[in-house]
Amino acid sequence: MLRVRDLSVSFATRQGLVRAVDGLNLDVGSREVVGIVGESGSGKSVAMYSLLGLVRDANASITGSVAFEGREILGLSDKAMQPLRGGQIGMIFQDPMTALTPVFTVGWQIVEQIRQHTDMTKAQAKDRAVELLAEVGIPDARRRVDSFPHEFSGGMRQRVVIAMALSCNPRLLIADEPTTALDVTTQAQILELMGRLRDTHGSSIVIITHDMGVIAEMADRVTVMYAGRPVESGPEVDVVRSPRHPYTWGLLGAVPRLGQRSERLATIPGNVMSPLDVPEGCAFAPRCDYAMAACARRPLMIGGTHEHACWLSDDQRVAIRSNTKVPS
Amino acid sequence: MSGDVLLRATDVVKSFQVRGAKMGAKKVATAVNGVSLDVVRGETLGIVGESGCGKSTLARCLVQLLPVTSGSIEFAGTTLTGLSRRQLRPYRREMQLVFQDPYASLNPRRTVGDIVADPLRINRFGTSAQIDQRVKELFETVGLDPSYVRRYPHEFSGGQRQRIGIARSLGLNPSLVVADEPVSALDVSVQAQVLNLMSDLQDQLKLTYLFIAHDLGVVRHVSDRVGVMYLGQLVELADADSLYDEPLHPYTEALLSAVPQLNDGTEVPRERIVVSGDVPDPAQRPGGCPFHPRCAHASDECRRTDPALVQIRPGRSVACHHPLAPTTTRKDTP
Repeated sequence: MLRVRDLSVSFATRQGLVRAVDGLNLDVGSREVVGIVGESGSGKSVAMYSLLGLVRDANASITGSVAFEGREILGLSDKAMQPLRGGQIGMIFQDPMTALTPVFTVGWQIVEQIRQHTDMTKAQAKDRAVELLAEVGIPDARRRVDSFPHEFSGGMRQRVVIAMALSCNPRLLIADEPTTALDVTTQAQILELMGRLRDTHGSSIVIITHDMGVIAEMADRVTVMYAGRPVESGPEVDVVRSPRHPYTWGLLGAVPRLGQRSERLATIPGNVMSPLDVPEGCAFAPRCDYAMAACARRPLMIGGTHEHACWLSDDQRVAIRSNTKVPS
Repeated sequence: MSGDVLLRATDVVKSFQVRGAKMGAKKVATAVNGVSLDVVRGETLGIVGESGCGKSTLARCLVQLLPVTSGSIEFAGTTLTGLSRRQLRPYRREMQLVFQDPYASLNPRRTVGDIVADPLRINRFGTSAQIDQRVKELFETVGLDPSYVRRYPHEFSGGQRQRIGIARSLGLNPSLVVADEPVSALDVSVQAQVLNLMSDLQDQLKLTYLFIAHDLGVVRHVSDRVGVMYLGQLVELADADSLYDEPLHPYTEALLSAVPQLNDGTEVPRERIVVSGDVPDPAQRPGGCPFHPRCAHASDECRRTDPALVQIRPGRSVACHHPLAPTTTRKDTP
């Protein structure tokens, strides 16, 4: 369905070249949920925006290949992208307040999108908007369709954004931190809704998040990104249960668990680095406890279905993990 | 309650006047509705709840940044409610706040050294040389390079800024630190660093924490006891382990079940209980138990009367007409 090869996005800045995304590969199959996880600044959002041609900075340079249903879409003109954006590819943005314009009713906004992509009449599109709002669980949709975004709570607004993304039955849904601004109970409702959409509409979903828990809940496969580069990628179960890259170990170890109370959380030393200072070799090496001489060269993604970009050998990895593993 | 009570809140109510739907109409939103709790010296009391449940308002009332509408707050035996600003000042040093947003809580036009020195200057900590010395110490305490004192907040990352906020709160050797969502704006790896720092500081400086967060994993990790708030009320209060192992209030159970789990074999899977709808508007609170419109166990009694928070066994209190049966109780044991 979606095949991304060697996607790189860089920005020329006064301080130098910033490689926001560097060599990302991604495959999304039909009805598949693929997660992209990483901290702020790891390039996950920029990667998705560039797919849709939403990176409009004159200083940006985007290279690589993005094939959607077999057709190359990177570098298409706005006009050619139009039917895809919001039509075959839906996008759910992180902040439901800024994704909706405050000066029009939510119904107006959904109708506009439907009319852009189909030849429905206004009345038909309005009915469809009511249907969609009801489908995403907004009570009293017939009346609420004429409400303005500020009249909804955060969770309800995110539902509106989802309804809008679904309005044209997209084949692919890209969700950028769809639940980050929400409470856990609302998050659970939204995740359940997205899971149901995959089942009923048969859409594929790419979900971008920094929350490993959301990944474990939703994704079939996951790609972990660090400083613009993929560092580990594979089936969700494998990545969560037997992570291979030290950065993934750190990400998983830093999550406080409900079930167990450990004295200290595992931390990743230092901060997420400035994208200007990413080293030539392994990007994670400056913060990695296991960095060695080999890390001065950039590791490639290796390992078949469960790939990782790290110079540690399997034996070294097993040795490290058996020493540091928290007894459960 | 055993131990030395540092902070005691008794039936604290805080309400705000809000504009009604019609022009000129006034409504009252009760953000905190009769909360009583004790914070024991040396412990970490966690408060969890969804946005809008009144946890931040409660924190601001407890440290006297907001006047309470009714109820009383005692700090180490002295009643603070009703004291004048001047009379409050000595107690303010003892109670410090760490704020949620490390971007909004530091003045962008002042150096971080000045920001940390301010409480010291206001409280006449000593000569300016002594204050400079103290600021450097504080920077070291929170793991920042003391040579950074002349820099501005924008030069720091989120985690470093939160360390600055913590340094500012510690200057006057407070006994109580109220942390209002101190890590929710941070990335998970940085969050872990700040949580570890806070736990080290608690050991070193014998601090008492009131730790407010919406992330149940974080609260579990730091807290000795946890209070669950819903619509301005405490609905359950228990030590962290029992609360998480066997929640008694249906809302606590639903909150816990909503947390996405890693399923990596280290956690016991929980059955997902999805509560429908949103938290009601505090200006239009439902009659009876505030949770009944969203509760699967609601009965007529729940719609009529609001259950009080009662202790059902030592260390466990719950406000529910139909508390959940503890899962560990076996019926076959005599």
